Amino acid sequence: MSCRGGSLATLMLSAWIGCSAVAWGQERTDGQDGAVEVRIGAVVASNSGQAFDQRLIALQRQFTSLFAYSSYRLIREERRRVAWKREAEFSLPGGRLLLVMPREYKDGRVALSLMLAHGTRPLVNTALALRNHGTFLVAGPHHEDGVLIIAIGASTVR
Amino acid sequence: MNCRESRPLLPLFLDGELEARQMRAVALHSTRCPGCEDELRQIERLQELVATHVAQQVEAIDLSALWARVGPRLKATAPPWHERLREWWWEVRSEGRRGWLPVSAAVVGAAGVLAMILWQAQRPTEPAQLASAVDNSAILDSVQSNVDSVALLREPETNTLVLWITDDVPATAGDFGDVR
Repeated sequence: MSCRGGSLATLMLSAWIGCSAVAWGQERTDGQDGAVEVRIGAVVASNSGQAFDQRLIALQRQFTSLFAYSSYRLIREERRRVAWKREAEFSLPGGRLLLVMPREYKDGRVALSLMLAHGTRPLVNTALALRNHGTFLVAGPHHEDGVLIIAIGASTVR
Repeated sequence: MNCRESRPLLPLFLDGELEARQMRAVALHSTRCPGCEDELRQIERLQELVATHVAQQVEAIDLSALWARVGPRLKATAPPWHERLREWWWEVRSEGRRGWLPVSAAVVGAAGVLAMILWQAQRPTEPAQLASAVDNSAILDSVQSNVDSVALLREPETNTLVLWITDDVPATAGDFGDVR
């Protein structure tokens, strides 16, 4: 009987160790070991018309709360897997260029360096720590009959 | 890159249709070549004029009479299901088929219950619930700008941060102003 009890305890201990190892491995691969999926969306916000692009439905609340435009059009969308500390270039409408470099993963946040340039002229250079799977917006540059809103999202991937 | 290579790419450059490497090459060439830079500005001006003109034309189109013409045609093609059901019901009643009454009532009742179940199952999550699950909070370490003004906005519900830049007055390239 005591032998069976000992076997059960050994089995439970092994299972606990196994689960802990898997969880530890998962935590590591969710973080710095993998890469970052960077999502870029270029949106033209204007007061020409009343159309709201249905592909932007996840951002509708933010857009209507933050901006006073009547029309939002997604004109470019790109997803790319970027390795840590590697720079990725994203072409944007109007001869603009966005450079993104994921720096590190810490406390559930992805640290990013971003640089937006218009042609060869750098417009803004920023460093931030964005919540994993979160979205950050850069807005304001004139485009067509409105302004450009650039949605930048980052998610860690294995 | 020379002018002969750059010129056909200029409209694509403005539309952001080029690969990042090509964009950089065209941008570099345009800053060194007054001819290409001038053409780039002209294309940009032309695009603005076309966009403004098209927007004005679209605004000027009167669509108020469209539905008045389309509506009767839609009605003529097929009445909605509830009208057909009502017509059928009145037909059954007028013919005095009383034996159908309990069966019809049972069918309608069952259909109602099924519709309620399906509606409950397929009802999308409320936007408020979705929004509350979203957390876009970001900690801004530093901002360096080369533009006229920079502002920070925050949407309180999802903590979405917006870096609002105004580039109406171009500054000198490389002359970053720290707004940390």
